[in-house]
This record gives sequence, C-alpha cells and structure tokens, in this order.
Amino acid sequence: MNSFADRFATTGTAAELRRIKEYVADDEDVSDSMWGSEAGFGTMAHGAPDFMVPSVPDPAAFLRLHTDDHADPSCRIKIKHGTTTLAFRYKGGVIVAVDSRATAGSYVASGTVKKVIEINPYLLGTMAGGAADCQYWETYLGMQCRLHELRNHERISVAAASKYLSNLVYSYKGMGLSMGTMICGWDKTGPAIFYVDSDGTRLKGDLFSVGSGSTFAYGVLDQGYHWDLTDEEAQELGRRSIYAAGHRDAFSGNTINLYHVKEQGWQFIGNYDVSEMHYNGPTGTQGYGYSVRVEGRSSANPPV
Amino acid sequence: MSIMQYNGGSTIAMVGKDCVAIACDLRLGNQALGISSNFEKIFAMTERTYIGLPGLATDVTTLHEQLRYRLNMYTIKEERTMEPETFIHLVSSTLYEKRWGPYFIEPVLAGLQRMPGGSFRPFIASTDLIGCINFAKDFVVAGTASEKLFGVAEGLWEPDLAPEDLFETISQTLLNAVDRDAYSGWGAVVYVITEDKVIKRTLKGRMD
Amino acid sequence: MPDGSYERPQQRQFNPYSENGGTILAIAGADFSVIAGDTRQSEGYSIQTRYAPKVFRLTERAVLAVNGFAADGNMFVKKVKQRLEWYRHAHAKDMPLRAIARLIQTMLYAQRFFPYYVYNILGGIEEDGTGAVYSFDPVGSYEREACRAAGAAQSLVQPFLDNQIYFKNQTPAPGASHPTHLPLPDVLSIVIDSFTSATERHIEVGDGLEIYVVLAKGRSTQELASIGGLQELSTRAEGDRMFVIRRDLKKD
Repeated sequence: MNSFADRFATTGTAAELRRIKEYVADDEDVSDSMWGSEAGFGTMAHGAPDFMVPSVPDPAAFLRLHTDDHADPSCRIKIKHGTTTLAFRYKGGVIVAVDSRATAGSYVASGTVKKVIEINPYLLGTMAGGAADCQYWETYLGMQCRLHELRNHERISVAAASKYLSNLVYSYKGMGLSMGTMICGWDKTGPAIFYVDSDGTRLKGDLFSVGSGSTFAYGVLDQGYHWDLTDEEAQELGRRSIYAAGHRDAFSGNTINLYHVKEQGWQFIGNYDVSEMHYNGPTGTQGYGYSVRVEGRSSANPPV
Repeated sequence: MSIMQYNGGSTIAMVGKDCVAIACDLRLGNQALGISSNFEKIFAMTERTYIGLPGLATDVTTLHEQLRYRLNMYTIKEERTMEPETFIHLVSSTLYEKRWGPYFIEPVLAGLQRMPGGSFRPFIASTDLIGCINFAKDFVVAGTASEKLFGVAEGLWEPDLAPEDLFETISQTLLNAVDRDAYSGWGAVVYVITEDKVIKRTLKGRMD
Repeated sequence: MPDGSYERPQQRQFNPYSENGGTILAIAGADFSVIAGDTRQSEGYSIQTRYAPKVFRLTERAVLAVNGFAADGNMFVKKVKQRLEWYRHAHAKDMPLRAIARLIQTMLYAQRFFPYYVYNILGGIEEDGTGAVYSFDPVGSYEREACRAAGAAQSLVQPFLDNQIYFKNQTPAPGASHPTHLPLPDVLSIVIDSFTSATERHIEVGDGLEIYVVLAKGRSTQELASIGGLQELSTRAEGDRMFVIRRDLKKD
C-alpha cells in the first residue's frame, strides 16, 4: 500500500485532507484571529477549522497505530474510554443522566468528568467515546447554533443542530473520530432527542443509552419507562439507571450527573455519588444496593 | 487483555510492630462485568499464617486446595504446624512445578514466625506466578491494583505501627488504591494478626 | 542479492513518537497553586539527562507542566508561549488562566490526526484570585480540578492524593468536617512525599524535583520563608507572586 504515487494521488483520504488544508489555510499560516482573543476558535467563525495531518500515505492508519488501545493495549497515546450515558423523552421534557468515570486501560483516570456538555441554555450534548472529540465539536456546535440565532432571529431546532453535528463528523468519516452523543433539547416541536455518532448515524427517538454500561442502564430504564412519568419519577428513573450501570460496569461509576430539559431550557438537578446511592440512596433513607435492601432478610444476608 | 486481569482483584500485606496485616478486595468480575461482591481471596492456612491469592478465580480455588492438602500432609508427617517462612517455600515450589503452564496467581503471604525462644517475628512475602519469592521488610502487594497499592503504601506506611494503626494504614491503602482500579474493589476484608489473636474486619468500600 | 537488489519488497515504518518518563503533579489551594515535576528524562532503561525541566512559567500567574514525549512537549510549550506573547502584543495584558486552558485545548485538537504525545497540566491563579488546576489529555479534552498527577507514576501518586487532598475513604469525626482547601505547607509536604514515594517505586522518576508555587495577589509569603532552595520568579512585588523550589531526589 505504501506507494509513492499515493502521496500525490488526487483521490482518497490523504488527498481529501490536503485539499481541505489548502482551501482553508496553510497549517503554519498565522491568521489574524490567532493574534486576538479568540483563542484559536476564531478561525471557526470564518470557516471549518483545519488540522495538521501526518505526511504518510494513510493518515487514518497512522492514527490508529498510535492511539487505538483496543487493537494494541501497549500503544502510547491512551484515549480515555468507558461511559454510561442516557437520555429519555417523556411528557415533562427530557431527562439526561450520565456517570463521571474516565478510564485508560484499567486505570480510573478521572472520577469527575463532565459528560453532559452544555451547548447553550436550550441544548445539551452527552459525551461517550473520545472525550476531546465530544468536547471540541459540541463547543463548536454551540458557536454555530449562536450564529444560526443571529442570522435567523430564531433558535435552532434540535433536529437542525444534531444534523449539523452529524454532517460535520460524517465529513471526517474513516479518519478516526470517536463519539456517541445524544443531542437533547426543547424546540417548537417540544422535547427532542437525537442520537448522533461518529459513523454518521443520526436517529430520532424517545429513549437512548450509550456507552459500555448502556446495557445495564437499558435494563432498568426499559422496565420503569412510560410516557406519563411525573418529574420526580423520571429523575429517579434516570438516576437509578445510571446507578445500575455504575455498579455492574467496571468502566462506569463514581458520580451521576442529572439534568432535566424543560420548555424554558435545561436545568441541572444534581450530582450524586454512586456509592452513596448504593448504601443510602438519594434521600439517605433507602439504598439502591441489592445487598443493602436484603440485609437481615435471610440467613445468607445476615445483618452486619 | 491479560488472563491475570480476567477476574480482577488485589491483595496487600504489611508489617507492623509485633503484628502483621493482610487485606484483599471482594470483587469477582468477568472482565468489565462485576459478578460477585463476596469473593474472598485471603485464606487462613495455619493459626498465624494467612495467604492472599489474587489472580484467575478458578486458580484461586484450585491453588488454595492444593496448598491446604500439602500443608495437611506436612502437619501429619511432622506433627507440628508449618511456619510462614517454610510455607512460602512450599508455595514457591508448588507454583514452580507448573513452570510451563502456571497458575495465574501472585500469592501474598503474612504470618507470625515462631522464634527459637518462643516469641514471634512478623513475616511477609510474596511470589510471582511461577514462584519467585520476594522477602520484603515493609509491605508486599499483588493483583490488578498493584501499581496503585505500591504508590499509596509507599506514602502511608511507616515502621513499627501498632496493630490498630497498622489496620488503619492497610485499610486506607487498599481502599484508595482499588478506587483507582477498574477491576478491583466492591468491598474489602482486612486481617490483623497479633501473637494472641487475629482480628478480621469487613470494610465498606465503594460499590462502583 | 549479490547485485545489491532485494529479494523481497522492504517495508519501513515511520514512528515519530517516543516516551520519556517522568511525572508531573499539580494541586490548587484556595488562593495558591502548586505545580511540580521531576527532572529526569529517560528512554527505556537509559537516563538521557538528570535535568530536563518539565514545568514552565507561562505568565505571571500561569504555569504549564508537560509530560510524555519530550520533543513534542518542548515544541508545544514553545508554541503556547508564542501565542501568549502575541496576545500580550494585541491586548497589552496577560491572557487569563481559563483562556489559556481553552487555547491549549484548541492547539492540541488542531493536531487531532497527528497528536502531540503530551499530557498537560496547567496551574495558576484565576482572574477571581482562586487557585486552579486544569488537566488535559493529548488531544485536548480538559477539566478544571483541585489536584491531578500525570505521567509515568500517575497511578502511584493519584490514589495517594485522593486520600490526602480529597480525604477519600476518610470519615470525619462526628460534628467535624474535612477542609475544602489545604494550607500551603501541608500541600508542599504532600507534593514532596508523593515524589519521594514515586522515586522509590518507579524507575523513570527521580534525580531532581521542581515545585512551582503561584500565590494570589496580596497573599502572605510567610509560609515559604523557611523553605530551602526557594527562588522568586515574579518580576513585580505587587500582583501575583511566583516561586520555584528546587530539591534533590534519589538518583538511582
């Protein structure tokens, strides 16, 4: 595959990126915005950001070689993995609940990750997959949503915002971006959730869970979900589902962040420690944990 | 993914003043999925010798039974209990027998060694999965959280800790280390071994 | 073959990355920030140098620690400093800490497809006078935290910090509570203990220790008076003050 001709080919990913780079600006070119206070994001307001790409025939394979720890656990650049995120729609709006653990291999790199990205007061995005990919592109999406507001004197719909993101990541397909996100908000059509991932998938739906612990979350979520949940029941369901994943999945846990999207925009409900939920529960009266609930009820579970 | 990380779990042993302590977590997993939160990895071999067997769960049971069998044979033939220093050599040779198809276990041992005068000397040791013995004077660690255990233990441990202080030190070391390890945790058990008694305590740990 | 040609096609690989060991660490206090790193630079089992700084002063109130591949790290620091200088020329003031954090994110993410193999920790004083620490992954995801260790011995040091800084797994006595921010002398001794522990158990850590201390404007420097190996780096006595403490670590 390592052919000299590839470098000068006019088709394929390498050529595609070369073309984007030439179109936008040179990599080392100092644009006016770099001098100012726009902190590099300045370039975004004027066009798509540009990326430095290694001069190899297949940059995507190059990136995979150095960053894909699934294929090669000894690779140097560890991109953090492992997550449980969920969002569901019900009559009172959208509930968004996530855990806060980031792992690199078996090491718990952080227990305080903000996996809900506040795009603007009406839009939330969740983070699963590459943390930087989600943070960066959802911040970028926030800027584009603001530009939409300024241009059209109207807030962007959740459908449009999610499609903007979906189209954007699709243009990088095959280059190694990794994100599985839920864009949640409230627009003219009411509460809405769109699942968007780096493969280019974009799905509208009532209920999604993404990440290594999603199967555990779905188990609780499906069992307790219906449209007419009260706000308290819905928040409890979100919290209880993430707890289930945090408990069983080694790569999820630490704390739960809970958000509620209503007509007036999103609202942060709270941060809950998974272990605290296990032993004491959200009100401190009844823990979620199986071992806690059956304690003293049989000879196999004697009181401590 | 290494077979040593398949079930997860960690163990640590520490020396104190006229006492030793050994502790383990309680998780048994199937890779990322947690299966059990009462899988003890520490076993009493004699009155004053305890062994921790972190590693592949199937081998934990097998190796424990194998060691118990050999220890019983020794006790019957010699008509005396085996001392920890002798026992670690038994562990070592049992593991080396399987040099080319090892048990996936890295044992950690803590005990009180009976001296000629009748007094007791704290003794700890660990081996790798083929039986290379490490006689440490301070602490030994093994399992999926071993790196984290080394770091915390190196920071918290000090010489000549009294039994209660040793208990606090080993508990804090274990709990904080396993909280940074995805494959360890889900509760913990600590044994503090002194001349006249052994105290076993179950700790509440993070359940995620 | 005898004529100099090859029997089979030859394949070569371009590997631009290496790993140079070492560890960095930062802790934020209420009105100060401490950023530290060892000075050993190694490759495999060989020590390349016993003094290669990993912690750099960016502005009067910002310090950046870089760890991973030294060549990438040094180049990255150079480029961050360049951007901060441009900002100074355009605005006649230093870039605030949270803006530097965002700048670093965009600079790292610009290399998303050819990453800098560098773990960054930014420490300093925010515009509101509070101590802050920002930690980054190699492609720019970041988070503000109270304490963070990165590098070769991160898994040794971080759980120790969880215990000593955040008081994790410690229950306060009834009626009492854990302090949210530790005093400077406590933080300094925890930093030193962390590095001596890491030096003891990790072969890539040792030789020397550099601890940068940034104090918020108007804060007393009294607590630093008795510290050995202290050097002041601030250019003005008013405003935020910056100091560096240099210490020896074991060299074996």
